[in-house]
Amino acid sequence: MGYLKYLVFRILNAILVLLIVTFIISALFVKVAEQSNLAKMNDEMMQWDRTTGQNILRTQGQDAYEKAKAEHEQFLREKYELNLPYWQKVYNKAIRTLRLDFGTTTTPIFGTNNVSDIIKVAVPRSILLFTTATIIVIILGIFLGVRAARHAGSAFDRGLSIFALITYSLPMWWTGMMFLLIFAFKLGWFPLSSMFDPQLTGWEHVKDVIYKLALPVLTYVFVVFGGWAWTTRNIMIGTLQEDFIMAARAKGVPEHKIIYGHALRAAAPPIVTMIIFALLGSLGGAIISELVFNYPGMGRLYWVALQQNETNLLIGLTYFFTVLYLAGVVLADMVYGFLDPRVKVGASAKM
Amino acid sequence: MRWVDVKEGFKEFLEEFKREKTGIAGVLLLILLVLVALTAPYTTIPDLPDKWRSSAYWEDNPKNVPPTWYNMFTSQKLVPQVAYYSDELSITHPSNTEILIEAPYSFSKGYYLGPQGIIIRNINVTLNTPSEAPTYSLYLERPDGKTVPLVNNKPLTSSTTIAVGRDAAISANIYVWLVNVTEGKELDPLQAQMDPIVIMNINTLVSAAFAKVEPGMKAEDVVNNPEPLWGDYKLVLKIDNPAPDQNKVIIDDIKITFLGRSYGTMGTDYLGRDLWAGIIWGSRVSLVIGILVSVLSTLIGLVYGVTSAYLGGNADEFMMRINEIFASIPSLPILILIGATVGHVTLMFIVLLLVIFGWMGIARIARSMALQIKEQTYIEAARALGAGNGRIIFKHILPQLLPYAFAVIALSVPGAVIAEASLSFLGIGDPTAVTWGQILNAAQAQAATTKGYWWWVLPPGLGIAVVGLTFVLIGTALDKILNPRLRKL
Repeated sequence: MGYLKYLVFRILNAILVLLIVTFIISALFVKVAEQSNLAKMNDEMMQWDRTTGQNILRTQGQDAYEKAKAEHEQFLREKYELNLPYWQKVYNKAIRTLRLDFGTTTTPIFGTNNVSDIIKVAVPRSILLFTTATIIVIILGIFLGVRAARHAGSAFDRGLSIFALITYSLPMWWTGMMFLLIFAFKLGWFPLSSMFDPQLTGWEHVKDVIYKLALPVLTYVFVVFGGWAWTTRNIMIGTLQEDFIMAARAKGVPEHKIIYGHALRAAAPPIVTMIIFALLGSLGGAIISELVFNYPGMGRLYWVALQQNETNLLIGLTYFFTVLYLAGVVLADMVYGFLDPRVKVGASAKM
Repeated sequence: MRWVDVKEGFKEFLEEFKREKTGIAGVLLLILLVLVALTAPYTTIPDLPDKWRSSAYWEDNPKNVPPTWYNMFTSQKLVPQVAYYSDELSITHPSNTEILIEAPYSFSKGYYLGPQGIIIRNINVTLNTPSEAPTYSLYLERPDGKTVPLVNNKPLTSSTTIAVGRDAAISANIYVWLVNVTEGKELDPLQAQMDPIVIMNINTLVSAAFAKVEPGMKAEDVVNNPEPLWGDYKLVLKIDNPAPDQNKVIIDDIKITFLGRSYGTMGTDYLGRDLWAGIIWGSRVSLVIGILVSVLSTLIGLVYGVTSAYLGGNADEFMMRINEIFASIPSLPILILIGATVGHVTLMFIVLLLVIFGWMGIARIARSMALQIKEQTYIEAARALGAGNGRIIFKHILPQLLPYAFAVIALSVPGAVIAEASLSFLGIGDPTAVTWGQILNAAQAQAATTKGYWWWVLPPGLGIAVVGLTFVLIGTALDKILNPRLRKL
């Protein structure tokens, strides 16, 4: 039962965080929307005054005009939610957001005004990009890391360490800009913009997507795999010195079986958590990298929303980032608790 | 801890640090970086942040050109910037009412195109008799004996800035001359200004004045594909002042600039800003933000984690919940949102934001370490002697974690630097500061990568990488020495 209890605890925790973040976003944006809504209301009020208002004034006199004006103002205040106190509005907005009712944008994006529909188009694209890239990183990282650990101190090992240290300090989006300059501008191997061609369908579309994905994926892999390999190497060096490896070696178990069968399995829990946290960490970098590559995923959308001041879209996207992130956190906890029994004992023992 | 122990420990540490080659390399890099940042006002332009956003200040610079040293690597050489001040010009007075200012320009063999433009500014005129106002003419004498009239008898005032290559009327004059020499036609200068060729090529017609032009050529070909005419040119500015006693023309501050097609150490951006100066100044913000954020968040994390561990029980549980909540908030989207909603963002506000979203990991590790230390007998002894919670935390537990803290501080600097650059890159940064992220933001906004302006993109990122590498090198060295057991990797 320990594991299930632990899991429920983690999920409840994630839900709590989601609630808090939703309220933070709502509080921020209600503040912004208040001003723009007030301006909108004043505009509409003036419009009404020029047409209907003047009409009433001429036909029914001053009193009727005053009354109608007050009524219309009341109507507009309700329409723009200006009659509610600030916290009431924050609460309403947060509840709507939690129900995935994000509203609409002022200008259409991807051919629609509905925020949910826009996000539904963008999310799979971002996930496609980062899942592909992360899978490549994991395979490369583990393979090279294990190799370096087996030949610790060799030229390959030292080269890998230096490469890892350097790439650790590189912003991913800047590397993307440089890759664009080198591979797209100078050599012309890849497209300058990763925006998909909407005209293509079927196999042509798949080919187009692969071609447009290539450079962003390459950039991601280049920046991330060094750190991965280095961490794997450090974990493996530690594991390879443990007694059970010695025992296996003494028994005469073949070397590659020791490495991949015994050592890597023992080193799995930290590596798996690393995988998930690498995915989570990539979310932030993704926002800017997609912008650099003009890739039509969530990150670029986020920036477009920011530039065009589409508050509803911003709220929706931030909410989605948070949900994705928290799902990752729960997943990481799940896997970690599954692979490393000490964790769930530790956590559930406290409950 | 006694003072002698501290001194002894420090000595020992230094001995060990000297043996870490990477650590030494990191320290050397750090010293270099600090020197660069501190001397920025003296090695480049003083108070650059004030000038960075004023496009008027950079008008004498060419726009979007690579650094001068780039010529070493290309076959098509790009002319450098040349500027003349009054004492370097030949100024003569052929008659009482005339001033002749001559600027030599040598267009050396092997260069691909002539200057991007010519800017003449800082002529002062005091006008007492407006009816006899001074006028000026400008022409370019070429090595092949031809003369290009650029300006004919225009009134001269104190606000006159002559901008060859940016002024449509001057470009039209070049075109009129070009058509006259090549095709023998006389165009009306006013009508030439409306000519689509002139409108399309206001900025590039200057190269025609520095190109081979012979009768029989087609004017359009020269405009589109100018062949350089190397040799010695002379720019002549003739000022007619019919009433020298009433109206004074003062040319003591005059500056004539032949805009280069390459500039300085790091080239220029779309406003003609000297990118080298921007990069040097950017190091200040990067270092300050990086160090400040990592020091603050490490200290907060340490105190938080240790307190949580020491208090234990429900308080610990509660504090760790708060920690987890902060840790599970995706920081960049939220940071962008807050930055975008707040409006005017200062550097200190960015530091605050990055600290708020940066202390959690350290707190968790500090807590787990403190849980071990807490169980040791001397803590119990201290408590038995009546020491308060604060005293035990700050006097007995925290000092033991300090060595670990140094490594963490160093290792978290790159993250903070990248985070600040990322925010600036998205346009959410202090608008009064010059930062690497903002330089890259401008580069992105102007599509520098798709135009191949590498000098605008490469250096700021390299700067970020160097700062990051410096602290990673120091951090890993410290980590090896100070925490041989506690090392997490």
